[in-house]
Amino acid sequence: MYELHQRQELNGVVGRRSKVNRRIGAAALLGSWTLATGVAKADHDMAMSESHDESSAVSVGVAVQAAEFDTMAYVGSYQSVTPSLGWMHGRYGASALLGLYHLDENGLSRYGMGDVMLGGHATVIERDAIEGGVAVHVMLPTGSALDNLGMGHTMAMPALWAAWHGEQLAARASAGYARALTSIDGGHDHGPSPLVDPMNLQELTWSAGADLDLGHRVRVGGRALGGIPIGAGHTRVIGGARVSWGTPRVSTAVELQAGLAGDPFTVRGVVETALRF
Amino acid sequence: MRLVLTIAFVVGLGACSNTAEPVATQTVCPSPPPDLTWENFGQQFMASYCTDCHASTLTHAMRNGAPLFHDYDTLHGVLSIPDHIDKYAGAGPAAVNTLMPPSRCPSTPGGPLDRDCPEPSEAERTNLALFIACQTGN
Repeated sequence: MYELHQRQELNGVVGRRSKVNRRIGAAALLGSWTLATGVAKADHDMAMSESHDESSAVSVGVAVQAAEFDTMAYVGSYQSVTPSLGWMHGRYGASALLGLYHLDENGLSRYGMGDVMLGGHATVIERDAIEGGVAVHVMLPTGSALDNLGMGHTMAMPALWAAWHGEQLAARASAGYARALTSIDGGHDHGPSPLVDPMNLQELTWSAGADLDLGHRVRVGGRALGGIPIGAGHTRVIGGARVSWGTPRVSTAVELQAGLAGDPFTVRGVVETALRF
Repeated sequence: MRLVLTIAFVVGLGACSNTAEPVATQTVCPSPPPDLTWENFGQQFMASYCTDCHASTLTHAMRNGAPLFHDYDTLHGVLSIPDHIDKYAGAGPAAVNTLMPPSRCPSTPGGPLDRDCPEPSEAERTNLALFIACQTGN
Protein backbone atom coordinates (compact mmCIF):
# COMPACT_ATOMS: atom_id res chain seq x y z
CA MET A 1 0.00 0.00 0.00
CA TYR A 2 2.72 2.31 0.80
CA GLU A 3 3.99 1.72 -2.57
CA LEU A 4 0.75 2.76 -4.02
CA HIS A 5 0.63 5.82 -1.98
CA GLN A 6 4.09 6.56 -2.80
CA ARG A 7 3.40 6.22 -6.36
CA GLN A 8 0.60 8.59 -6.13
CA GLU A 9 2.74 10.86 -4.21
CA LEU A 10 5.22 10.81 -6.95
CA ASN A 11 2.52 11.30 -9.44
CA GLY A 12 1.48 14.29 -7.52
CA VAL A 13 4.96 15.64 -7.70
CA VAL A 14 5.04 15.41 -11.36
CA GLY A 15 1.66 16.74 -12.12
CA ARG A 16 1.42 19.38 -9.55
CA ARG A 17 -0.18 21.92 -11.81
CA SER A 18 -3.45 20.13 -12.10
CA LYS A 19 -5.80 19.93 -9.19
CA VAL A 20 -6.10 16.21 -9.36
CA ASN A 21 -2.42 15.68 -9.51
CA ARG A 22 -1.87 18.11 -6.70
CA ARG A 23 -4.16 16.04 -4.55
CA ILE A 24 -2.32 12.96 -5.48
CA GLY A 25 0.87 14.67 -4.57
CA ALA A 26 -0.51 15.54 -1.22
CA ALA A 27 -1.37 11.99 -0.69
CA ALA A 28 2.12 11.27 -1.55
CA LEU A 29 3.29 13.23 1.31
CA LEU A 30 2.65 10.83 3.93
CA GLY A 31 1.94 8.07 1.79
CA SER A 32 3.98 5.29 1.22
CA TRP A 33 6.80 4.94 3.27
CA THR A 34 6.60 2.54 5.79
CA LEU A 35 5.53 -0.62 5.72
CA ALA A 36 3.50 -1.21 8.07
CA THR A 37 2.40 -0.17 11.25
CA GLY A 38 -1.21 0.62 11.33
CA VAL A 39 -0.90 4.31 10.93
CA ALA A 40 1.29 3.93 7.96
CA LYS A 41 -1.11 1.58 6.41
CA ALA A 42 -3.91 3.97 6.95
CA ASP A 43 -1.87 6.69 5.39
CA HIS A 44 -1.39 4.72 2.31
CA ASP A 45 -5.00 4.38 1.70
CA MET A 46 -5.62 7.92 2.55
CA ALA A 47 -3.09 8.90 0.05
CA MET A 48 -4.84 6.93 -2.55
CA SER A 49 -8.08 8.55 -1.78
CA GLU A 50 -6.84 11.87 -2.87
CA SER A 51 -7.17 11.29 -6.52
CA HIS A 52 -10.66 12.60 -6.89
CA ASP A 53 -11.34 12.86 -10.52
CA GLU A 54 -14.34 10.80 -11.50
CA SER A 55 -12.42 8.28 -13.51
CA SER A 56 -11.24 4.99 -12.10
CA ALA A 57 -7.60 4.09 -11.69
CA VAL A 58 -5.83 0.89 -10.83
CA SER A 59 -2.34 0.79 -9.47
CA VAL A 60 0.15 -1.96 -8.79
CA GLY A 61 3.32 -1.65 -6.82
CA VAL A 62 6.05 -3.45 -5.00
CA ALA A 63 8.16 -2.50 -2.01
CA VAL A 64 11.41 -4.08 -0.93
CA GLN A 65 12.59 -3.49 2.58
CA ALA A 66 15.41 -4.53 4.87
CA ALA A 67 15.47 -3.95 8.61
CA GLU A 68 17.43 -4.75 11.72
CA PHE A 69 15.85 -5.11 15.16
CA ASP A 70 17.02 -5.47 18.74
CA THR A 71 14.08 -5.98 21.09
CA MET A 72 13.82 -7.24 24.64
CA ALA A 73 13.60 -10.84 23.42
CA TYR A 74 14.98 -10.94 19.89
CA VAL A 75 17.94 -9.71 17.89
CA GLY A 76 18.00 -10.11 14.14
CA SER A 77 16.93 -8.76 10.81
CA TYR A 78 14.33 -9.21 8.11
CA GLN A 79 13.88 -8.55 4.44
CA SER A 80 10.63 -8.44 2.55
CA VAL A 81 8.97 -8.04 -0.80
CA THR A 82 5.49 -6.56 -0.62
CA PRO A 83 3.32 -6.45 -3.73
CA SER A 84 0.30 -4.20 -3.58
CA LEU A 85 -2.83 -3.45 -5.56
CA GLY A 86 -4.99 -0.35 -5.42
CA TRP A 87 -8.14 0.98 -6.97
CA MET A 88 -9.57 4.48 -6.92
CA HIS A 89 -12.77 6.03 -8.19
CA GLY A 90 -13.53 9.63 -7.39
CA ARG A 91 -13.56 10.05 -3.64
CA TYR A 92 -13.34 6.37 -2.91
CA GLY A 93 -10.62 3.82 -3.03
CA ALA A 94 -9.50 0.41 -1.90
CA SER A 95 -6.20 -1.33 -1.58
CA ALA A 96 -4.60 -4.63 -0.67
CA LEU A 97 -1.07 -5.74 0.13
CA LEU A 98 0.79 -8.76 1.39
CA GLY A 99 4.36 -8.90 2.63
CA LEU A 100 6.59 -11.91 1.96
CA TYR A 101 9.39 -12.12 4.50
CA HIS A 102 12.71 -13.64 5.33
CA LEU A 103 13.18 -13.29 9.08
CA ASP A 104 16.29 -14.02 11.10
CA GLU A 105 15.49 -14.03 14.84
CA ASN A 106 18.09 -15.09 17.39
CA GLY A 107 19.89 -17.17 14.82
CA LEU A 108 16.83 -18.89 13.33
CA SER A 109 16.07 -18.20 9.68
CA ARG A 110 12.46 -18.35 8.51
CA TYR A 111 10.54 -17.58 5.34
CA GLY A 112 6.84 -16.80 5.27
CA MET A 113 4.03 -14.44 4.46
CA GLY A 114 2.87 -11.68 6.74
CA ASP A 115 -0.66 -10.52 7.42
CA VAL A 116 -2.83 -9.47 4.49
CA MET A 117 -3.89 -5.83 4.67
CA LEU A 118 -7.13 -4.69 3.06
CA GLY A 119 -8.24 -1.08 3.12
CA GLY A 120 -11.00 1.24 2.05
CA HIS A 121 -11.00 5.02 2.16
CA ALA A 122 -13.08 8.05 1.25
CA THR A 123 -12.46 11.77 1.01
CA VAL A 124 -15.14 13.57 2.99
CA ILE A 125 -13.94 17.18 2.98
CA GLU A 126 -12.47 18.78 -0.12
CA ARG A 127 -11.60 22.48 -0.24
CA ASP A 128 -8.95 24.38 -2.14
CA ALA A 129 -5.86 23.41 -0.25
CA ILE A 130 -7.36 21.23 2.44
CA GLU A 131 -8.75 17.76 2.34
CA GLY A 132 -9.88 15.28 4.91
CA GLY A 133 -11.38 11.85 5.04
CA VAL A 134 -11.79 8.49 6.65
CA ALA A 135 -10.13 5.15 6.13
CA VAL A 136 -10.70 1.66 7.45
CA HIS A 137 -8.15 -1.10 7.27
CA VAL A 138 -8.54 -4.73 8.17
CA MET A 139 -5.53 -6.92 8.69
CA LEU A 140 -6.12 -10.65 8.33
CA PRO A 141 -3.98 -13.12 10.28
CA THR A 142 -2.36 -14.90 7.35
CA GLY A 143 1.06 -14.55 8.95
CA SER A 144 2.13 -16.95 11.68
CA ALA A 145 2.10 -15.30 15.09
CA LEU A 146 4.24 -18.11 16.48
CA ASP A 147 6.86 -17.36 13.84
CA ASN A 148 6.67 -13.62 14.56
CA LEU A 149 5.33 -12.92 11.08
CA GLY A 150 1.78 -11.94 11.99
CA MET A 151 -0.45 -10.57 14.72
CA GLY A 152 -2.34 -13.83 15.13
CA HIS A 153 -5.66 -11.99 15.16
CA THR A 154 -7.76 -10.01 12.75
CA MET A 155 -7.11 -6.31 13.32
CA ALA A 156 -9.55 -3.49 12.56
CA MET A 157 -8.09 -0.02 12.10
CA PRO A 158 -10.38 2.96 11.41
CA ALA A 159 -8.71 6.36 11.04
CA LEU A 160 -9.25 10.00 10.15
CA TRP A 161 -6.84 11.99 7.99
CA ALA A 162 -6.29 15.53 6.82
CA ALA A 163 -3.94 17.09 4.28
CA TRP A 164 -2.85 20.56 3.26
CA HIS A 165 -1.22 21.34 -0.05
CA GLY A 166 0.72 24.50 -0.81
CA GLU A 167 2.56 25.40 -3.97
CA GLN A 168 5.65 23.44 -3.06
CA LEU A 169 5.07 22.26 0.47
CA ALA A 170 2.49 19.78 1.60
CA ALA A 171 1.62 18.42 5.02
CA ARG A 172 -0.52 15.63 6.32
CA ALA A 173 -1.65 14.06 9.56
CA SER A 174 -3.78 11.15 10.66
CA ALA A 175 -5.20 9.68 13.83
CA GLY A 176 -6.86 6.36 14.31
CA TYR A 177 -7.68 3.41 16.48
CA ALA A 178 -6.59 -0.18 16.07
CA ARG A 179 -7.90 -3.20 17.86
CA ALA A 180 -7.52 -6.93 17.62
CA LEU A 181 -10.86 -8.65 17.13
CA THR A 182 -10.23 -11.00 20.02
CA SER A 183 -10.05 -10.90 23.80
CA ILE A 184 -7.33 -8.49 24.89
CA ASP A 185 -5.87 -10.20 27.88
CA GLY A 186 -2.26 -9.23 27.36
CA GLY A 187 -0.46 -12.34 28.45
CA HIS A 188 3.27 -12.98 28.45
CA ASP A 189 5.19 -10.04 27.02
CA HIS A 190 7.81 -10.80 24.38
CA GLY A 191 8.10 -7.15 23.52
CA PRO A 192 6.86 -5.70 20.24
CA SER A 193 5.00 -8.26 18.16
CA PRO A 194 5.14 -9.39 15.46
CA LEU A 195 8.78 -8.65 14.75
CA VAL A 196 8.14 -7.71 11.14
CA ASP A 197 5.69 -4.90 11.88
CA PRO A 198 4.65 -4.70 15.49
CA MET A 199 1.36 -3.35 16.79
CA ASN A 200 -0.39 -3.45 20.14
CA LEU A 201 -3.58 -5.44 20.54
CA GLN A 202 -5.36 -2.14 21.12
CA GLU A 203 -3.84 1.24 20.40
CA LEU A 204 -4.27 4.76 19.14
CA THR A 205 -2.39 5.36 15.92
CA TRP A 206 -1.03 8.64 14.61
CA SER A 207 1.14 10.11 11.92
CA ALA A 208 2.34 13.53 10.78
CA GLY A 209 4.62 14.54 7.97
CA ALA A 210 5.49 16.95 5.21
CA ASP A 211 7.31 17.02 1.93
CA LEU A 212 8.79 19.55 -0.41
CA ASP A 213 8.71 19.69 -4.18
CA LEU A 214 12.26 20.28 -5.41
CA GLY A 215 11.29 20.40 -9.05
CA HIS A 216 12.30 18.00 -11.80
CA ARG A 217 9.76 15.55 -10.38
CA VAL A 218 11.71 15.10 -7.19
CA ARG A 219 10.32 15.47 -3.69
CA VAL A 220 11.96 15.15 -0.31
CA GLY A 221 10.09 14.68 2.93
CA GLY A 222 10.05 13.48 6.47
CA ARG A 223 7.52 12.19 8.89
CA ALA A 224 6.85 10.47 12.16
CA LEU A 225 4.24 7.89 13.03
CA GLY A 226 3.46 5.56 15.83
CA GLY A 227 1.08 3.86 18.20
CA ILE A 228 0.04 4.50 21.78
CA PRO A 229 -1.15 1.36 23.56
CA ILE A 230 -4.50 1.26 25.32
CA GLY A 231 -3.84 -0.94 28.29
CA ALA A 232 -0.72 -3.09 28.24
CA GLY A 233 1.70 -2.61 25.40
CA HIS A 234 4.51 -0.57 23.99
CA THR A 235 4.47 3.00 22.73
CA ARG A 236 5.92 3.00 19.25
CA VAL A 237 7.47 5.89 17.34
CA ILE A 238 9.02 5.69 13.89
CA GLY A 239 10.75 8.52 12.07
CA GLY A 240 11.72 8.56 8.42
CA ALA A 241 13.11 10.58 5.55
CA ARG A 242 12.54 9.91 1.90
CA VAL A 243 13.31 10.98 -1.60
CA SER A 244 10.86 10.24 -4.35
CA TRP A 245 10.64 10.67 -8.07
CA GLY A 246 7.70 10.13 -10.30
CA THR A 247 5.73 10.70 -13.44
CA PRO A 248 1.94 10.54 -13.67
CA ARG A 249 2.20 6.80 -14.25
CA VAL A 250 5.35 5.59 -12.56
CA SER A 251 6.84 6.49 -9.24
CA THR A 252 9.80 5.32 -7.24
CA ALA A 253 10.98 6.24 -3.77
CA VAL A 254 13.73 5.46 -1.35
CA GLU A 255 13.20 5.86 2.35
CA LEU A 256 15.28 5.44 5.47
CA GLN A 257 13.47 4.87 8.76
CA ALA A 258 14.53 4.69 12.37
CA GLY A 259 12.70 3.16 15.30
CA LEU A 260 12.68 5.98 17.84
CA ALA A 261 10.67 4.29 20.59
CA GLY A 262 9.14 0.91 21.29
CA ASP A 263 11.70 -1.16 19.34
CA PRO A 264 9.74 -1.59 16.10
CA PHE A 265 13.20 -1.91 14.51
CA THR A 266 16.49 -0.09 14.83
CA VAL A 267 16.82 0.94 11.21
CA ARG A 268 14.88 0.06 8.07
CA GLY A 269 15.37 0.87 4.42
CA VAL A 270 12.56 0.80 1.88
CA VAL A 271 12.64 1.01 -1.89
CA GLU A 272 9.30 1.08 -3.62
CA THR A 273 7.99 1.58 -7.07
CA ALA A 274 4.50 1.66 -8.48
CA LEU A 275 2.63 1.89 -11.72
CA ARG A 276 -0.73 3.52 -12.21
CA PHE A 277 -3.20 2.72 -14.97
CA MET B 1 -24.51 -10.04 -3.53
CA ARG B 2 -21.01 -8.82 -4.38
CA LEU B 3 -20.69 -7.37 -0.88
CA VAL B 4 -21.75 -10.66 0.70
CA LEU B 5 -19.16 -12.55 -1.35
CA THR B 6 -16.49 -10.07 -0.37
CA ILE B 7 -17.30 -10.39 3.32
CA ALA B 8 -17.34 -14.18 3.04
CA PHE B 9 -13.91 -14.10 1.37
CA VAL B 10 -12.48 -11.88 4.09
CA VAL B 11 -13.87 -14.02 6.89
CA GLY B 12 -12.65 -17.12 5.11
CA LEU B 13 -9.13 -15.77 4.87
CA GLY B 14 -9.13 -15.17 8.57
CA ALA B 15 -10.37 -18.66 9.25
CA CYS B 16 -7.54 -20.15 7.19
CA SER B 17 -4.84 -18.71 9.39
CA ASN B 18 -2.70 -20.68 11.79
CA THR B 19 -5.06 -21.88 14.52
CA ALA B 20 -2.43 -23.29 16.88
CA GLU B 21 -2.38 -20.98 19.85
CA PRO B 22 -0.89 -21.22 23.32
CA VAL B 23 -3.63 -21.96 25.84
CA ALA B 24 -3.42 -22.06 29.64
CA THR B 25 -3.96 -25.63 30.82
CA GLN B 26 -5.82 -24.46 33.97
CA THR B 27 -3.92 -27.06 35.95
CA VAL B 28 -4.35 -26.85 39.74
CA CYS B 29 -1.88 -28.40 42.16
CA PRO B 30 -3.75 -31.24 43.90
CA SER B 31 -3.64 -32.01 47.60
CA PRO B 32 -1.52 -33.79 48.51
CA PRO B 33 0.83 -32.50 45.80
CA PRO B 34 2.57 -34.97 43.49
CA ASP B 35 6.21 -35.80 44.06
CA LEU B 36 7.48 -33.64 41.22
CA THR B 37 10.55 -31.60 42.11
CA TRP B 38 13.20 -29.77 40.09
CA GLU B 39 15.66 -32.50 40.96
CA ASN B 40 13.54 -35.54 40.14
CA PHE B 41 11.50 -34.12 37.21
CA GLY B 42 11.90 -30.51 36.11
CA GLN B 43 15.60 -30.45 35.43
CA GLN B 44 15.52 -33.69 33.42
CA PHE B 45 12.46 -32.59 31.44
CA MET B 46 14.10 -29.31 30.48
CA ALA B 47 17.39 -30.98 29.61
CA SER B 48 15.63 -33.53 27.42
CA TYR B 49 13.38 -31.16 25.51
CA CYS B 50 14.28 -27.50 26.00
CA THR B 51 17.80 -26.42 26.93
CA ASP B 52 19.44 -27.10 23.58
CA CYS B 53 17.97 -23.70 22.70
CA HIS B 54 16.56 -22.27 25.97
CA ALA B 55 19.73 -21.99 28.03
CA SER B 56 21.34 -19.01 29.68
CA THR B 57 24.69 -20.05 28.22
CA LEU B 58 23.49 -19.55 24.64
CA THR B 59 23.98 -16.16 23.04
CA HIS B 60 21.77 -14.56 20.39
CA ALA B 61 22.74 -16.40 17.25
CA MET B 62 23.08 -19.74 19.08
CA ARG B 63 19.49 -19.83 20.34
CA ASN B 64 17.87 -21.00 17.10
CA GLY B 65 15.03 -18.54 17.59
CA ALA B 66 14.46 -18.99 21.30
CA PRO B 67 13.59 -15.62 22.87
CA LEU B 68 16.14 -13.99 25.13
CA PHE B 69 15.58 -14.50 28.86
CA HIS B 70 13.57 -17.66 28.22
CA ASP B 71 16.18 -19.90 29.85
CA TYR B 72 15.20 -23.16 31.47
CA ASP B 73 18.51 -24.47 32.71
CA THR B 74 17.70 -23.32 36.23
CA LEU B 75 14.58 -23.53 38.38
CA HIS B 76 14.70 -19.75 38.69
CA GLY B 77 14.57 -19.43 34.91
CA VAL B 78 11.58 -21.75 34.69
CA LEU B 79 9.68 -19.99 37.44
CA SER B 80 10.29 -16.57 35.91
CA ILE B 81 7.81 -17.39 33.11
CA PRO B 82 5.76 -20.38 34.31
CA ASP B 83 2.58 -19.39 32.46
CA HIS B 84 4.48 -19.22 29.19
CA ILE B 85 5.87 -22.74 29.60
CA ASP B 86 2.43 -24.06 30.58
CA LYS B 87 0.85 -22.53 27.48
CA TYR B 88 3.46 -23.87 25.07
CA ALA B 89 4.26 -27.33 26.43
CA GLY B 90 1.90 -28.27 29.26
CA ALA B 91 -1.14 -30.52 29.28
CA GLY B 92 -4.10 -30.20 31.61
CA PRO B 93 -7.86 -29.92 31.91
CA ALA B 94 -8.18 -27.06 29.42
CA ALA B 95 -5.54 -27.86 26.82
CA VAL B 96 -2.82 -30.16 25.58
CA ASN B 97 -0.20 -27.76 24.25
CA THR B 98 2.30 -29.15 21.76
CA LEU B 99 3.73 -25.93 20.34
CA MET B 100 7.05 -26.76 21.96
CA PRO B 101 9.38 -28.38 21.33
CA PRO B 102 9.38 -27.50 17.61
CA SER B 103 9.91 -29.98 14.79
CA ARG B 104 13.67 -29.49 14.38
CA CYS B 105 16.35 -29.31 17.06
CA PRO B 106 20.14 -29.06 17.26
CA SER B 107 22.21 -32.13 18.10
CA THR B 108 24.37 -29.96 20.31
CA PRO B 109 23.25 -26.86 22.22
CA GLY B 110 23.51 -23.88 19.94
CA GLY B 111 24.26 -25.98 16.87
CA PRO B 112 22.40 -26.25 13.57
CA LEU B 113 18.90 -27.74 13.42
CA ASP B 114 20.01 -31.14 12.21
CA ARG B 115 17.64 -33.60 13.86
CA ASP B 116 13.97 -34.11 14.68
CA CYS B 117 13.14 -32.91 18.16
CA PRO B 118 12.25 -35.53 20.76
CA GLU B 119 8.62 -35.14 21.81
CA PRO B 120 7.46 -35.45 25.40
CA SER B 121 4.57 -37.82 25.98
CA GLU B 122 1.22 -36.43 27.05
CA ALA B 123 1.89 -37.84 30.53
CA GLU B 124 5.14 -35.89 30.67
CA ARG B 125 3.33 -32.74 29.53
CA THR B 126 0.72 -33.31 32.23
CA ASN B 127 3.46 -33.66 34.82
CA LEU B 128 5.07 -30.48 33.52
CA ALA B 129 1.86 -28.54 34.06
CA LEU B 130 1.47 -30.10 37.53
CA PHE B 131 5.10 -29.29 38.37
CA ILE B 132 4.60 -25.67 37.38
CA ALA B 133 1.27 -25.35 39.18
CA CYS B 134 2.71 -26.76 42.42
CA GLN B 135 5.94 -24.78 42.21
CA THR B 136 3.99 -21.56 41.75
CA GLY B 137 1.36 -22.34 44.36
CA ASN B 138 -1.58 -22.58 41.97
